[in-house]
Amino acid sequence: MSLDTQKSPQWWKKKDVKQTFIFWLIFTPLLGYISSTIQIRSIGAPASETMAGVINLIGLFTWVAAPVAALVGAMCLTTLLSKRHYGDNPPPEAENEIRNSPRTNAIWITVSSVLCLFALVTGLVVLQKDAEAITDSAAMDINVTGQQWAWNYDYPNGARTEVLYLPVNKPVVFHITSVDVKHSFWVVQMGIKMDANPGYVTETAVTPNKIGVFDIRCAELCGLLHAYMQNKVHVVSQADYDAWVSNRAKMEAAA
Amino acid sequence: MTTLTNRPTSAHKKALIEHLNIFTALALGAISAFVVWRLALQFLPQDAETSPFFNREDKITLLSMIAWFVGFMTGIGALIAPFRWVTGKDLSHEENMFYAGKDMGVKRYFRYTTDHKVVGIQYLVMTMFIFFIGGTLAMLIRTNLGHPEGGWIHPQAYNSIVGTHGIIMIVATIIMVTGPFGNFIMPIMIGARDMAFPRLNALSFWLIVAAAVPLLWGQFLGGISTGWTAYNPLASQAPLGMDGYIMFICIFAISTMVAGANITTTVIRMRAKGMTWNRTPIFIYGTVASVGLALPAFPVFFLSQIMSGMDRALGTGFYDAAHGGSGWLYENLFWIMGHPEVYVILIPAVAALMEMAPVFSRNPLFSFNVAVLGIAGISGLSVLVWAHHMYMAGWAPLLNAPFMLTTELISIPTGMLFLVLVGTLWRGRLWITVPLASIFALLWNFMIGGITGIYLSDVPADAFLHGSMYVTAHFHYTLMGAGLTGAIASLVYWFPKMTGRMLDKKLSWISFWMVQIGFNVAFIGMFIVGLAGQPRRVEGYSAIFSRGNLITTIGAYVIMAGMLILLHAVVSSWRNGVKAPMNPWQAKTLEWSVAYPIPLENFDVLPIVSSDAYGYGKAKS
Repeated sequence: MSLDTQKSPQWWKKKDVKQTFIFWLIFTPLLGYISSTIQIRSIGAPASETMAGVINLIGLFTWVAAPVAALVGAMCLTTLLSKRHYGDNPPPEAENEIRNSPRTNAIWITVSSVLCLFALVTGLVVLQKDAEAITDSAAMDINVTGQQWAWNYDYPNGARTEVLYLPVNKPVVFHITSVDVKHSFWVVQMGIKMDANPGYVTETAVTPNKIGVFDIRCAELCGLLHAYMQNKVHVVSQADYDAWVSNRAKMEAAA
Repeated sequence: MTTLTNRPTSAHKKALIEHLNIFTALALGAISAFVVWRLALQFLPQDAETSPFFNREDKITLLSMIAWFVGFMTGIGALIAPFRWVTGKDLSHEENMFYAGKDMGVKRYFRYTTDHKVVGIQYLVMTMFIFFIGGTLAMLIRTNLGHPEGGWIHPQAYNSIVGTHGIIMIVATIIMVTGPFGNFIMPIMIGARDMAFPRLNALSFWLIVAAAVPLLWGQFLGGISTGWTAYNPLASQAPLGMDGYIMFICIFAISTMVAGANITTTVIRMRAKGMTWNRTPIFIYGTVASVGLALPAFPVFFLSQIMSGMDRALGTGFYDAAHGGSGWLYENLFWIMGHPEVYVILIPAVAALMEMAPVFSRNPLFSFNVAVLGIAGISGLSVLVWAHHMYMAGWAPLLNAPFMLTTELISIPTGMLFLVLVGTLWRGRLWITVPLASIFALLWNFMIGGITGIYLSDVPADAFLHGSMYVTAHFHYTLMGAGLTGAIASLVYWFPKMTGRMLDKKLSWISFWMVQIGFNVAFIGMFIVGLAGQPRRVEGYSAIFSRGNLITTIGAYVIMAGMLILLHAVVSSWRNGVKAPMNPWQAKTLEWSVAYPIPLENFDVLPIVSSDAYGYGKAKS
């Protein structure tokens, strides 16, 4: 990755190329480490396989992008350190005019195409896994209904709640709709999101793999109290879930 | 604006066009809006009991706004020439000269003036004014978000501020390069006497002025509580302020289409003799790509808002599932405009910096062909990516993969733009100035904006990131970090040509550093809260996000201070800055070959071009 001229075939021996290379060697791990640390610490612990996959993807993209960003940074820094000119009048013009470098262009475009293809393929592999989860026949079905400004959950046995309860390690498919305007059903720590559209039902799927209380937020501006359209999902053991849901169904029947 | 030539108007018999200016336009617009409002109130039938929303009020509001628009455009004089043409009496030479603002001094800036340099200055002032308003709204948002429970703005007002900030910043960034510099500089840069259609040029500017009023009006009718996207069905239940948005978009879309047709025609037909496509400066390519993209995009936006207005006022159900429509139709129409539109903003800003890179590194532009290919590639792909805004809409999950493909392909031509900029600077003699620093700032900001865009383009990662503050931070990095940086650099670079004075060096440096540092602090903080799971467009948030939000708010205040310093620099330098030489940067494009003040038709003798403008270095051919 250099900008060579015909007159100097041994471009890698030039001082500024060497300097760029050293900067690049320093910047790549530095950028990759800082960015991925910020990302991982901000995101927090995943509560599903899907979210773990998202975190892996983000980390992977960061480390693939780091050398590219580092190269641009290294070239900028090298240039900035070599010939600067201050003042109100322009400096003399550059001595060696570089108008074009077909080889550099070719390498740059090839490398960026390969990186692009890599990002695409990794994304498609994960996407395929997510798409298969929706058609899982062993999964539990829960109907999610958004309304201004609350979520309602309907369970297979007819129970309806405003707080979501899920058994751990059991695949679940959400069938999402809305009664008024568009909302977006976001289970933050599980890495799934799907819009709730009035008049249509959309689907998304996840398998929670961690017991705990996690956040559900609306991710589409839906009017006055959009910011407060959030509640919790309780992921509990299968036994706790069975007890809760039958209890809940009895309460509904009694009411 | 005291430096502008101030010659007395010659006294001769006053024709109708000489009486018309912004004040007659405002008066006629207000009168016709009032008359139509009164008549509509009197004669429009009441709604049926079954009518779900307030259709009658919407009809009255929209009719009054249309009356305002027609009244304003009549009052400014936009209809005189078409009317004359229809009746078979075209304008005389004197009248055309009057329209061009010949010998009119400062007054021409307040009239329907056709001279491209006047329109350019009008656009510049207009852009700065819109940024001032949009920036003030941004500060209100950030102040409100400074503390998790600090919501001292009512949620309805807050939502409206977010929507208004969004739409007017989008408008400001669309016009920030192609408006002032595309109008003032571009015709001179290609060696033309004016634009291809000078009257359309004036029309495109005054349409924006006419459009601004309904938006302002809407603020008093409940505001735009839907965000700038105005998704349906939220928009159909929004208060009457939504009609202001609809009118605003319709008029602005006409303005953009008119400007697009005009600039494209000018560049294709009016380049100087010898300026082949290989010798055409890269900024011209950027401008044409930008307005060329707007040409297919904005009619769709126009149409989407007409249908939105019909849903509100006439009870049609284009976007209403209960009446056979679909909110997804709106989303598709909106983003078919919305994605090309971000490149409408970005491309001319990057192209302007590409134009400056050779000047400030004293190197030729690296790989001109790759630069053109990059711009063309982005333009071509950008019309095929709109549904990446709808990965999580559930509209067509099977289309996620192909839209992911087209979206990620854009990284290839975008990479070409990086190659050209870095390659131009490489081994150059860097002349340390604000435009040069802006190139580095753009590379930094656009790198972050671009890479975060790759995460968002990836469907599984987007399932987590979509609709969060992460998205907000990402597009601010591209539109503000890259786009606005390019526009401010353009202002510094072309200020001497537009005003005859240099922009204050010290103040512009201070402003540059404050804006860039404040910007990065603000939006890195926003990335962090987005990754932590804060949705966008919220007026309150849980306490776990408070630190990141506080960082963002502090950064925002630093940006504000920097922008105010820039504003002060522009005003003070325009009034009494150092007089600029003809070619202060020793650049080689044609606009630097004419001295200030530039005469009405720019060139006494049209130039003939025999090489491109990047002949820096030893091969001085």
